[in-house]
Amino acid sequence: MKENYYIAKWLNNELSEDELKKFVSEDELRAYKKIIEATKKLEAPNFDTSKALNLVNIKKQQQTKVRKLNFQFVYKVAASIAVIAMAFYFFSSKNTVYSTKYAEKTNFTLPDKSIVDLNADSEITFKEKNWNTNRNLKLNGEAYFSVKKGSKFTVNTKLGSVSVLGTKFNVIVRGNYFQVTCYRGLVSVSYKNKTIMVPAGTSFKAEGSNSEQPFAINDTLPSWIQNFSSFKSMPYHFVIEELQRQYKIKIEYNPKYANTLFTGNFTHTNLDTALKAVTIPLNLTFKTIGDHKVSFIENKN
Amino acid sequence: MSEKNENEFCNEKKFSSFFLENSTLLFNYIFYKCGNTDLSNDIVQEAFIKIWKNCAKVIPNKAKSFLFTIATNLFLNEYAKSTVIINYKNTPKKDYTNESPEFLLEEKEFEAKLQKAISNLSEPQRIAFLMNRIDGKKYREIAELLGISIKTVEKRIHNALVNLRKEIDVFNKR
Repeated sequence: MKENYYIAKWLNNELSEDELKKFVSEDELRAYKKIIEATKKLEAPNFDTSKALNLVNIKKQQQTKVRKLNFQFVYKVAASIAVIAMAFYFFSSKNTVYSTKYAEKTNFTLPDKSIVDLNADSEITFKEKNWNTNRNLKLNGEAYFSVKKGSKFTVNTKLGSVSVLGTKFNVIVRGNYFQVTCYRGLVSVSYKNKTIMVPAGTSFKAEGSNSEQPFAINDTLPSWIQNFSSFKSMPYHFVIEELQRQYKIKIEYNPKYANTLFTGNFTHTNLDTALKAVTIPLNLTFKTIGDHKVSFIENKN
Repeated sequence: MSEKNENEFCNEKKFSSFFLENSTLLFNYIFYKCGNTDLSNDIVQEAFIKIWKNCAKVIPNKAKSFLFTIATNLFLNEYAKSTVIINYKNTPKKDYTNESPEFLLEEKEFEAKLQKAISNLSEPQRIAFLMNRIDGKKYREIAELLGISIKTVEKRIHNALVNLRKEIDVFNKR
């Protein structure tokens, strides 16, 4: 079938009205005539040719005069800026990491002079870039912070986050266990979509979905800073894990004690004393088996 | 650039007259596409500057379609469409009053319907139709400018009219 665009032909006077009537009805023909009549009144928006020409002439001169030289120059400048920016970005956005291994503690100063004490087997990551305006760091393990006053200071952990303005506080993130102790000022802890205010002299602890209201503490410094670990009604496995971290040893013990609650201390300076401190309350004795390996045994009687 | 080039488009005067001859049509063409006067103005300027920069390469009897091609490409880069509303001229009031108020009202309504129907046309149909109706371009000229065949122009205008009639019919029935 050959295409026949009869309406276009008729509009272009290539087809008479009578011929067009072979293809369209009277009504349709009237409609087409009416449309075409109405289009005569249509007009495009006003276009100011002389104004446009002036603008073009101005642009034309600007571009032809400087084009060649400028282009290369612009490229050079752009390339150098890109290199500098990338280098700057690379160096400044690099994460700074402080970490400790088993039986190791450290402390360091943040760019704003805040001090961080890092307990054994812990890690802190932060960006030095813009530190003073963006005080955010990531913690895994346990650390004690003495924060200088300034902008909001946030410690992010996999379990929850802690925000302060300037104060002293300790954060523990071990497995599912999360504890924030505030020694001065006020900290705001966000845990499982809840925000808990922890005032000075109190401690907030949570394990999994169980969290308690902040409870009072008597210390003015975390015990580990003073080279001992102190526990109050803590599951025994947690005590053992901490002991393993502090002395880089492996401890074998009867798993039935894992969730027994333990209250007491052990020192970080003498392994023998520390082992006695954690075995005697449960009526256990210990035996060293090879390097860095200790076994806890039940007393015979 | 190269001085021995005698191409007329590198001559300031020739360039200006080429601009005055073709800029309005080019402006209208872009406006039929996008319905945005600012964008149309920008594209006209940019297209002519491109012609000026490439004046040595312009073949005189292909200049117009080259210009339209440049503008079309520029438009593709800047794609920003809004509804295309073509306004009516402000026709002076006739002295005689043999038209009843009903007739005038009906005509106003019809014009509004047509305006809406035109904005609903596909872009190629609207461009071909309006270049013919508003700019009075022959089918052959439109075909040359847009780089298409005369048959295609006929098809677009034919379909444009069919679509306009159908759409206005639909409005009438409501």
